[in-house]
Amino acid sequence: MKSSFPQAVGIGLVALLWVLPLAASLMAFTVAAFDLPAWSGLLHHPQLPKALLLSLWTGTAGLALAFAAAMLITMGIYGGARWQKLQVFTAAGLSIPHLAFAIGFGFLIMPSGFLGRLLAGGSEPPQWVTAQDPLGFALIACLALKETPFLIAMAWSVLAQGDVAPALRGQWRSARSLGHGAGSVWLRVLLPQILPRLQWPILLVWVYGTTVVDMALAIGPTQPPTLAVIVWTDLNHAAVDINGRGSAGAMLLTLMLAAIAALIFFGLPPAAKKMRDFMTAGPSRLRVPKTWAVFLTVAMIVIYGLVLVTLAAMSIAGQWPYPQFLPDTFRFAAWQNLYSNSGPAVLSLALALACSALALGLTVLWFEVVAARLDRALTIASVASLALPALAVASGQYRLFLDLNLTGTLSGLFLAHFTPVFAYVFIVLKGPYRAFDPRFRAVAHGLNAGALRFWLGVKAPLMKAALATAAAVGFSVSMVQFVPAQLIAAGRFSTLPMEAVTLASGGARALTAAYALTLAVLPALAFLLVQMLGRPRWSQAWS
Amino acid sequence: MTTISRRRFLSLAATAPFARVSWGADWAAIEAEARGQTVYFNAWAGSEAVNAYIAWAGGVLAERFGITLNHVKIADAAEVVRRVRDEVKAGKLEGSVDLVWINGENFRIMKAERLLFGPFTEALPYYRYVDTDGKPTTLFDFAEGVEGLESPWGMAQLTFFGDGAKITAPPASMLELVDFSGSNPGRVTYPAPPDFHGTTFLKQMLVETIADRTVLSMAVDKDQFVAAAQPMFAMLDRLHPFLWRGGEQFPQSQAQMKQMLADGELLMALTFNPNEPANLVALGELPSSTIAWQHRDGTIGNTHFLAIPINAQAKAAAQVVANFLLSPEAQARKADLKVWGDPTVLALSKLSPSDAKLFGSKLAQGGVSEPAPAIPEPHASFVPLIEAAWLERYGA
Amino acid sequence: MELILEQVSISLGNAVLVQPFSLAIGAGETETLMGPSGSGKSSLLAFIAGDLPPPLRGQGRVRLGGRDLGPLLPETRRIGRLFQDDMLFPHLTVGENLLFGMARRARAERLSRMREALAAAGLEGFEARAPHTLSGGQRNRVALFRALLAGPEAILLDEPFASLDMDLRNSMRSFVFTHLKERRIPSLLVTHDLADAPAGGRVLTIDSGGLVAA
Repeated sequence: MKSSFPQAVGIGLVALLWVLPLAASLMAFTVAAFDLPAWSGLLHHPQLPKALLLSLWTGTAGLALAFAAAMLITMGIYGGARWQKLQVFTAAGLSIPHLAFAIGFGFLIMPSGFLGRLLAGGSEPPQWVTAQDPLGFALIACLALKETPFLIAMAWSVLAQGDVAPALRGQWRSARSLGHGAGSVWLRVLLPQILPRLQWPILLVWVYGTTVVDMALAIGPTQPPTLAVIVWTDLNHAAVDINGRGSAGAMLLTLMLAAIAALIFFGLPPAAKKMRDFMTAGPSRLRVPKTWAVFLTVAMIVIYGLVLVTLAAMSIAGQWPYPQFLPDTFRFAAWQNLYSNSGPAVLSLALALACSALALGLTVLWFEVVAARLDRALTIASVASLALPALAVASGQYRLFLDLNLTGTLSGLFLAHFTPVFAYVFIVLKGPYRAFDPRFRAVAHGLNAGALRFWLGVKAPLMKAALATAAAVGFSVSMVQFVPAQLIAAGRFSTLPMEAVTLASGGARALTAAYALTLAVLPALAFLLVQMLGRPRWSQAWS
Repeated sequence: MTTISRRRFLSLAATAPFARVSWGADWAAIEAEARGQTVYFNAWAGSEAVNAYIAWAGGVLAERFGITLNHVKIADAAEVVRRVRDEVKAGKLEGSVDLVWINGENFRIMKAERLLFGPFTEALPYYRYVDTDGKPTTLFDFAEGVEGLESPWGMAQLTFFGDGAKITAPPASMLELVDFSGSNPGRVTYPAPPDFHGTTFLKQMLVETIADRTVLSMAVDKDQFVAAAQPMFAMLDRLHPFLWRGGEQFPQSQAQMKQMLADGELLMALTFNPNEPANLVALGELPSSTIAWQHRDGTIGNTHFLAIPINAQAKAAAQVVANFLLSPEAQARKADLKVWGDPTVLALSKLSPSDAKLFGSKLAQGGVSEPAPAIPEPHASFVPLIEAAWLERYGA
Repeated sequence: MELILEQVSISLGNAVLVQPFSLAIGAGETETLMGPSGSGKSSLLAFIAGDLPPPLRGQGRVRLGGRDLGPLLPETRRIGRLFQDDMLFPHLTVGENLLFGMARRARAERLSRMREALAAAGLEGFEARAPHTLSGGQRNRVALFRALLAGPEAILLDEPFASLDMDLRNSMRSFVFTHLKERRIPSLLVTHDLADAPAGGRVLTIDSGGLVAA
């Protein structure tokens, strides 16, 4: 039983730092979204039906592919010698900002890009319909590639968790001695246990994919674009009535996602019966398609490598006419620009460190002192805050901060970063943290260890992988905050993504690539640190 | 210490001819008030050339006027409109924006919602050199009266560009463009409206196809528009099958088109800054064989401006900045292709010979060889109608 | 049915953990293997079962009922295993755990065999319970029957009684060995408590040098 005073403190802190600002933002957004003319304008938008379908299609297909790939790779490599090395790849993959990946990937597949130069040749680029294809296949591929490392990392943080890992390995051996092939053990024993803890990250990937703007702008279909892009264009407009139409569009998309999520949630119990029948149908010799898993892993590493090389090449390319494989001329102006203007990078770094540290501390406090049954409300709020377009949430937040005189202040800027960081850290940490075996606490109490000694000496070391992953995710989320930060900073502060996005608006590809690479490098370092800290010492303890 | 003051002295001496003319007591008071103020200048920052120019201006302003110029880098001026509106609504009198680079729709909205300080522009000392006769768009921003609420900064005119090694006869009218696309299928396109360049492309086609041009300067309703735009849509129907992706997908922005041109995916791109192609050649982003052209009978032209929000904190310093940016010294530097290449709003005939000499007239590689007249923007009521009709026909 | 080990050894790099030795376990017999911890007993069982994790390496031949197990995957060896922890699957009910390893045939038949096993384990009515609601002894019995229902041709026991209290330990021992004997399943028990060894079975020891002796 959680005692009531600490619980009140925990709830109060989270409410003050996160729930209240968010609630006020959502309120302002909801008011803006319930405007009749705005809805009429939205429903008369000729692109609405197709755009809505495109959003759902690209987001869902992206998730399905990412999930399949992540599970295949995890299955194929779990427990093997490459299991630890895989984490280096997921770290690198996670740390590349979505937009940077889309730009690099776009240059790989577009007709005048690397593939065109390699495969088509000729004096003019082929007229392929690769990037920005009407059905969004390029966007889907991009989403799938970008989210696979995230899902692998989430699965890893559960599988490598100190108290869970040995039990799972024992069950693995038991199941095989009972006649089940490795593939069957995965489907019938491991997945059913880790999936419940992955459900919110999975939902997050789906919501992200259906509402993403920057990637869709860079590589998604254009006529019509996805609904998120239409919403973004409308919300960006100077005219109030068009902003209203954008808010209505955002609300429609959110309601649609909520409705589908609810349908799946309530449709699950009947399906669960079938699942249980499947799990107990008896031994199957199904094996893990190891060759496919290795092939897929290698393919992904190659694509990520090519994307990074492409970005690096783009950042120093002057003229690079088709069909040359290397640029004709080189310019280092982009890097000089970055080097001579390092203030934003330092500010971004400081904000990311402070935000992820506070978010981690507050999340742990919540889990330690607040009853588990209150998690659901906070989780739904977190997902909702990430599902709504950043611009819609940010403008509500901005109005609140104006009244509180927080715009243009460092504390306002910090809070603007903190809102999404906390949501991510909470979702990422919730599964592993709540799954921690409570018997350890009893054991520790029996050994006369107090709460703090238990946490520092037992729980934190066992939860190292999950804690470190959550902190790193929070760090990288903070590093790429643009919309809310830009509004709240009011021109008084400049962060790395603010510089990058405004520079990118002119299409200066070299600068965009240079900033994107820098944005990738800092979180990559954070993730690598995590791999070093989060590696459980007992990972080889198989026998 | 001594070296710095010496350098400062020299630079003051070198700029003496246009640094101090007597402007009268009112202006002197404004300059005195401005000293020590910080101006948050919200300006689109998508170009290294623009950012470097603003940084240069900041250095001069600090030295000569004691003003700190802070370039707030933004991606879209609409952001500033929303920001100022929210601040005013929240009763915040100490706004975060002192000066904003603006024109067109954003200006119209700020003016209509009374979000602008002024009128102030005609009291700026250098305003007397503005070419209001030869460049009427300095007085009418997208057919909306400026009324002293924004200070002219630079000129823009729809211009096309491509590689002269691949284009021997650049299409000098929309009709020629249709033929050109027919012989180069898949290599021509325009950004999808409501992107500002895409809408301008459509306006240009409207101007070239409309039966009676006098309609363009008046407010229109939907029925009048449908009749007036009928030839434009007939031409678009002919053009689209020859476009990139068969006219079914369009680039999102001019920036993207520019990149597609550099990559060889497109044969030509468009811009609102006639000197942008030459600037890109000078920066080494486009080959030296690049050519730029306008349509024979003229292309849509307009002016971009600087405005001061009603809740600006440093109104005096903002006026001093606007005035300095209007000076022959600043305008000439801005017009320099190696710096930015943004055409001046001043009338060279009104300047002293020594000031006029600052504006070099040499034709640079990638410059427009045969400049065509600028055509004023159609009345603002056309814009939403064009965008909606286009979306209805080609968007879904 | 006989479990035969021929010149089996375990090594880690150049170090030999278990020196080559041979052993034949007849139907219904239980042999006991004792030795200090870290002497490679558990690794030996893992090698026999086919899931010795690298970098550990096993050599020698393992035969079961005339089959050479060498090339077979763990799941096709028909070797059941019991561990110190019961290793019941926490996401399945007691009944579902019992069904898990049972060969595929008509559902009604599988269910009735599962219920028979529950009855034999003295756990009637526990079918829909979650494993963690059972006592340690009850869970151990479920684990034994889960292994037996998979139809193993041999069973490896890795300290299966170590976590039980003294009373339970005695009853569990006789429970396990009676069932193994009845079904004529050869088994190999690893323990460090001589009291665990069933009467009549041989007891082998591994010394710190990895030598196995009867």
